[in-house]
Formats: sequence, C-alpha cells, structure tokens
Amino acid sequence: MLLLSPCAEAGPHTISETPVPITTDSKLVNKLSIKPRLGQWSKVLIGGPGLLPDETNAMAVLYPVPNGGQADAFVLQDEGGQNTIDLSQIYIYATIPGDTPMVEAFEYKTL
Amino acid sequence: MNRRELFQNILAAGAAVFAVGALRGQGITSYNGPEGGTRGAQLVTILGGPFHTSSQPNGVRPLTTTPQFATYVRVQAHPGQQGKIAVGNAAMRTATGNIADSAFVELWPNWDGSADNGRSDTWIIADPKWLNTINVADIYIWPEIAGETPLITAFQLV
Repeated sequence: MLLLSPCAEAGPHTISETPVPITTDSKLVNKLSIKPRLGQWSKVLIGGPGLLPDETNAMAVLYPVPNGGQADAFVLQDEGGQNTIDLSQIYIYATIPGDTPMVEAFEYKTL
Repeated sequence: MNRRELFQNILAAGAAVFAVGALRGQGITSYNGPEGGTRGAQLVTILGGPFHTSSQPNGVRPLTTTPQFATYVRVQAHPGQQGKIAVGNAAMRTATGNIADSAFVELWPNWDGSADNGRSDTWIIADPKWLNTINVADIYIWPEIAGETPLITAFQLV
C-alpha cells in the first residue's frame, strides 16, 4: 500500500556559522516545510547550494514569531504526487548560531 | 554489459528486494477503513474536535491507535489556550527533556486573538492526489501544557 509518511530527517536542525543542507546525501521527498523555531529569534534563510548568510540567492526569508499567532513558513510540495524534492539541495541558515529551524518532510513509501 | 556490470546489477536488485522485505517487516497488518493509497468518492470525517492527550505516556498521544489512512489531516492550536502544540512521530513518546525537540512541527498558541487577526497556528498535511495515504496512527500530538486540547480534523475518501 502507498503511504505518505514522515521522514526520519525531519525535526529541528541546528545551524552554526554557515548555510547547511538538510541532508548531506540525496533524499527525495514529496513535501517539505521549514519554520522558525518558536521562541527563537533568528531570521531563517532558505535557498539552494548558492545561499549565503547575507541573503544572497535566498529563495525565502522567514521572520521569527515573537508573540504567538501563525508562524512564518516555507512550504513546498510536489502536486503530482511524487518524491521529487531533494533535501540535500535545500540549504538553511539561521542568523543566530545555534538556533534550530524546524524541518518537516513527508515522503511516499510503498509497504 | 560485462560480467562486472552484470554482477553489480544483481547485487543492486538483491538490495532492493531486501529493502522491500524490510518495509514489509514493519508492515501494517490491521487497520480501519480503506487500504492506504486508495481513493474513494465520498469525503468523510474520521477525526474531529478537541484532542485530549492526558494520561498518555509523556502526555503524547497518536491520533489513533489502530492505523487508518486519511487524505487530509489538520491540527490547529486551540484559540484561547496558552501552550505550544508539538506534532511528531512515536519518538516523542520516549523523549526526555523538551519533547518538542523530537517533533517536526510546533504550533504557537493564540491565547487572546491579538496576533494575526486572531488566526491560530495550523498544520496541514494533504495527499496532493487525494489518495488515502496518511496513516493517522503515525502522527503524535503533544500539548506543552497538560490538559490543553488542539483541534484535530482528518478526512478520508471512502
């Protein structure tokens, strides 16, 4: 049977000094979402391998959520129902080192 | 194709068979409703209302205990309540420290409606082809404040 399941690579990702890919090896998923971690104060930058900390090549810049309400988020999903989004090609950067943007990823699996 | 390439292909095929076998080993043998990956003609609600997790290990509860396959799942922070809501997998049940560190989504509370014109933080997962592929038993909920009740909705096509 076909299932759309949470990926093991999901969860908080610690960012140090430079943009980092979500995974080091290629990993194809159907849905990806990235949100600033609630209660943290970093801006979160999202881009490809060319992403730089000064927002050069950023495809999205997410503001932190200081006081409740809806969190800013970057969401991408293959509407054709395939695993086509390569996590190793998506880079994240947080402006405060040590902050941990939250990554959600779902992939199709066949059991 | 030379013999070395042929041997590599055989090894790769063997690994693929092993991977499928491993997945079947974790397979789902009993479930409610239609099989995962199906698509019906009528949209029905299989979960709804405030969701209680009290008395569960770590205060973490799966959406259902028996696997059931939905096409759309929505989790909303309950307006007026004051704690964050974490959404994740079974790892949250045994997590120590901040359980939300084992989640893949956190939802902010909306205690007085003053932020974002009163909209509450919401997480949605939907199958893009409207297939029943999301096993709601694999999705776990943890309210930061015990006793708080996020709003859950899940739809299935039967």
